[in-house]
Amino acid sequence: MSLWGPIWLTLQLAGLTTVLLLLIATPIAWWLAGTKSRLKPAVEALTALPLVLPPTVLGFYLLILMSPQSTLGAFWVRLTGEALTFSFSGLVIASLFYSLPFAVQPLQASFQSVGRGMMDAAATLGAGRWDAFRSVALPLSRRGVLTAAVLTFAHTMGEFGVVLMVGGNIPGRTRVISIEIYSAVETLDYRTAHILSGGLLLFSFVVLTAVYMMNQRGVRAGA
Amino acid sequence: MPDTLSFDLQVRYADFMLAVRADVPATGITVLSGPSGSGKTTLLRALAGLEPHVTGTVQFAGEDWSNRHASARGVGYVFQDARLFPHLSVADNLDYGAKRRGIPPDKVRTVIDALDLGPLVHRAPATLSGGEARRVALGRALASGPQILLLDEPLTGLDRARKADLMPYIARAVATFGIPALYVTHSTFETATLADRVLSIHNGRLTGWQPAPPRLRAHVAQVDAGRVLLGIGDSTIWITGHGRLNEAWAVPLGESYVISTREPGDSTADLTMPCRLAEVDTEMQEWVLEVAGQRVPVPLVDESSRWTIGQALWLTLPNVTGHITGTEADDIL
Repeated sequence: MSLWGPIWLTLQLAGLTTVLLLLIATPIAWWLAGTKSRLKPAVEALTALPLVLPPTVLGFYLLILMSPQSTLGAFWVRLTGEALTFSFSGLVIASLFYSLPFAVQPLQASFQSVGRGMMDAAATLGAGRWDAFRSVALPLSRRGVLTAAVLTFAHTMGEFGVVLMVGGNIPGRTRVISIEIYSAVETLDYRTAHILSGGLLLFSFVVLTAVYMMNQRGVRAGA
Repeated sequence: MPDTLSFDLQVRYADFMLAVRADVPATGITVLSGPSGSGKTTLLRALAGLEPHVTGTVQFAGEDWSNRHASARGVGYVFQDARLFPHLSVADNLDYGAKRRGIPPDKVRTVIDALDLGPLVHRAPATLSGGEARRVALGRALASGPQILLLDEPLTGLDRARKADLMPYIARAVATFGIPALYVTHSTFETATLADRVLSIHNGRLTGWQPAPPRLRAHVAQVDAGRVLLGIGDSTIWITGHGRLNEAWAVPLGESYVISTREPGDSTADLTMPCRLAEVDTEMQEWVLEVAGQRVPVPLVDESSRWTIGQALWLTLPNVTGHITGTEADDIL
C-alpha cells in the first residue's frame, strides 16, 4: 500500500505540472517562434537552462526563491498560511521551471513550422489575432502540443534532484517515486526499488516510443 | 463618382523602399505589373494590412483603413501559394472567412457554383491539384464577402493551359460579384487576357497607367455543355467555357494576333476577321483598327507606316479565348 502513495503523488505532480506548463509555455513559445527581438537568444537560453544545469543548482536557487524570507515565499505564506518549501505547491513551482524546456521547445518548433503565412491568410479572412491562433496555429501545432505534454509529464515523473532540494522527503507531501526509490535503496528495500524503478523505466520507454512514433508519422504525412 | 482605392504608402526596409500613391478605380481588374523585386507584393501586403513596416494611408470608398488590423479591412487576398488551411476540408476553408464576416451560406453556395467548386468541397486541401487549390483559394477569398480582391500572382507556377483554364474563373468572379480586383503579375499572357487597366511599378515607385490591352467585345449567342458561341459583330466562334445567354464577354487579342494586308486563306487560326485601319495616333504610339463595328486601339507596329487610313486589313487570332465582363451585353468595357 505504501507504494501507491508516492505513485499517486507523482501522477498528481506530473499532471498538474503538465497542464500549468502548457498554459505558461504556449505564449513564451509563440513569442519565440515569431519574434525578431534582440532579446530572443537570451530568453531562449533562459528557458533551456534546466537542460544543462545540475538539478541541485536549480533546486538551490528555487529553495532560496521560495524560502519564507524571500519576497515570493513570504507572499505565499501570507496568502496560504504555509511555506512553499517542503510543500506540494513548492514542488509544482519547481517542476514548472525544471520541465520548462521540454514544453517550450516542441511548441516553438511546431509554431515556427506553421509560419506567418497561415496567420496572414487567417487575418485577411477576418480572424483577429487570438481567433487565428486558436483556429489555425493551434490545430496545426497539435503534434507539438502533444509532444510537449507527453515530454513534460514524463520528465516530471522522473524528477529527483530538484524535488529533493526543494521538497525534501516528506511522505504524502513531497515523497515522489524517485525519492521513494532512493529511500528504499538506502534502507536496502530492493524489492520496492525494483518495482518502482522497473515501472518508471517501462513508462519512460513507452512514452518515448510514442513520441517518436508520432513524429515519424508527422514526417511521413509531410506535416 | 465611382468608388476608388486610394493609397499613399511608404514601406521601409534596410535594402528596399516602397513609396507609392495612386487612386485605383474600384471596377474590373487592375493589373499591377512590374519586374521581380519591384515591390508588387509588398504593396499588396501593405494594402491588406499585413506589412509591419508601413506608414501612410489607405482608403477604400471613403473608408479609412489605415489603422485597421488586416481582419477588419474588407480585402479578399489570394496568395501565390494558395495557403489553404491543411487541417480543414475545402468546405471549411470556404466557410472560414464567410463565418467570421457573417456571410450567409447561400452566398457561399453562389461562389461554389460560380467557380465549379462543388465536386471539391469534401476533399482535403492536400489532395487538390495546383489549379484546384488556386480555385479554392479564390473561392475562399470571395466567400468572405470582400470589398476588393487582392490577387498576388494567383496563377504563378501553373502551365499555360492551366492558366487559360483558370483565368475565366477570375474574370467571372469579378464580373458576377461586382468585386474589383488588384491583380499582381509579371505575366504578359495574364495581363493581355485579364487587364481592364495596367498600373506599372518599378523599383518601389509607380511608373504610370496603361489602358486595357486590345480586346474585342463579344456576347454569348448560344450555350452548350462546356462551351459558348460568342458573337463578335457578324462573326461567331465556339470557345470552351461556361456562360449564360447574352452575357457580355471580352475576346482579348492576346499576345500572338496577326494583322495582314492579305486574307490568310487556308489558315489553322481560330478566327480571321476583315478590318480596316481607322486612325493612326503617333503620339500615343498606337493605331485604331475598325473591326466588327468596334474601334480597337492596338500598339503601333513597323509595317503600319506603309499603310494608309482606310486600308483593308485582316485580323487573325490563332487562339481565341474569352471571358465574361458583364452580366448583360450592353454594360461592358
